[in-house]
Amino acid sequence: MLKTVLRAALSTTFVTLAAAITLAAPAASAATPAQLLNTYAAEAARQTPGFQPSAQRGAELYARRFTASEKMPACATCHTDSPLQAGRHAVTGKAIKPLAPRAEPARFTDPAKVEKWFRRNCSEVTGRECSAAEKADFIRFMTEGS
Amino acid sequence: MKKILVWDLPVRLGHWLMAGGFAFAWATGDSEVWRLAHVFAGGAVTAIALFRLLWGIIGSRHARFASFVRGPRQALGYLKDLLRRAPRHYAGHNPAGGWAIVLLLSLALLTGASGWLAYQEMGGEWLAEAHEWCVHLMLAVIGAHVLGVLVGSLAHRESLIGAMFTGRKLGRPEEAISGQHLLGAACLLGWAAAGAWWLAQ
Repeated sequence: MLKTVLRAALSTTFVTLAAAITLAAPAASAATPAQLLNTYAAEAARQTPGFQPSAQRGAELYARRFTASEKMPACATCHTDSPLQAGRHAVTGKAIKPLAPRAEPARFTDPAKVEKWFRRNCSEVTGRECSAAEKADFIRFMTEGS
Repeated sequence: MKKILVWDLPVRLGHWLMAGGFAFAWATGDSEVWRLAHVFAGGAVTAIALFRLLWGIIGSRHARFASFVRGPRQALGYLKDLLRRAPRHYAGHNPAGGWAIVLLLSLALLTGASGWLAYQEMGGEWLAEAHEWCVHLMLAVIGAHVLGVLVGSLAHRESLIGAMFTGRKLGRPEEAISGQHLLGAACLLGWAAAGAWWLAQ
């Protein structure tokens, strides 16, 4: 009987692991920060003709203190005043690698990951989703203005 | 048949703490403000699942894996009978419910392990993705489990949800368990708290 139990548990574990790895693995598709910037800028230009990404506006967005979250009012709360520096999670205290690709080359190279963290962090810090224009400004600041 | 004690306290407490902990962890999964609480809840759920493995060997009669884990043929047979509205009544878990338990425990452990590894930053983004897929699979099995409980309750004309609170189900007197196992429940609570604390370190 114990054998049946073990066999059932083991096969479940194996199938789940295989499924999870297969489903999760192809997620990483490589891109450069410039390509990501262009995609967001093009989307923003469709909404606002003549849109040009601005490092200045990106820097303002990065430093701005919002009122949606007391513990995490700004990007800079965890990522420090400069995205070239390593940050620190305001709640867990865990170290966060620098956000700027110049300091951490893997940053802004995986479109799905970038979208996921814009979605999560924008809704929590600003209380809403970020627009394509804001994302374009933000990446310009990350790649040039920091 | 009359109402007899079937589920001991560790089974019931573990069930609802696991359900509550999973729901809380699911609701807070995308939040960084709630990250520590999320890890704490995940740690507790993982610890409860581990305890349940042990309790499945040393626990009271109907808590033991040997009493309810059956092959797929018996589980399918039970579901077929359920559709024909003539399912066999079990004092403990039915064979299909047994599968839900094995799947949910396995998935809970995988979710906890992948979550812990991701929190320790031991894998890349794929680990966080695997963690999320484990959760999606778990939600699917939870859906099937809840549906099965509702259909089973109707078919057997007894509240299986109520039974998970009171521990009492319909059965023959000789199928009853002798006690609530308070010591086991105390161990479960201590172990879950320790697991939550340790995982959140």
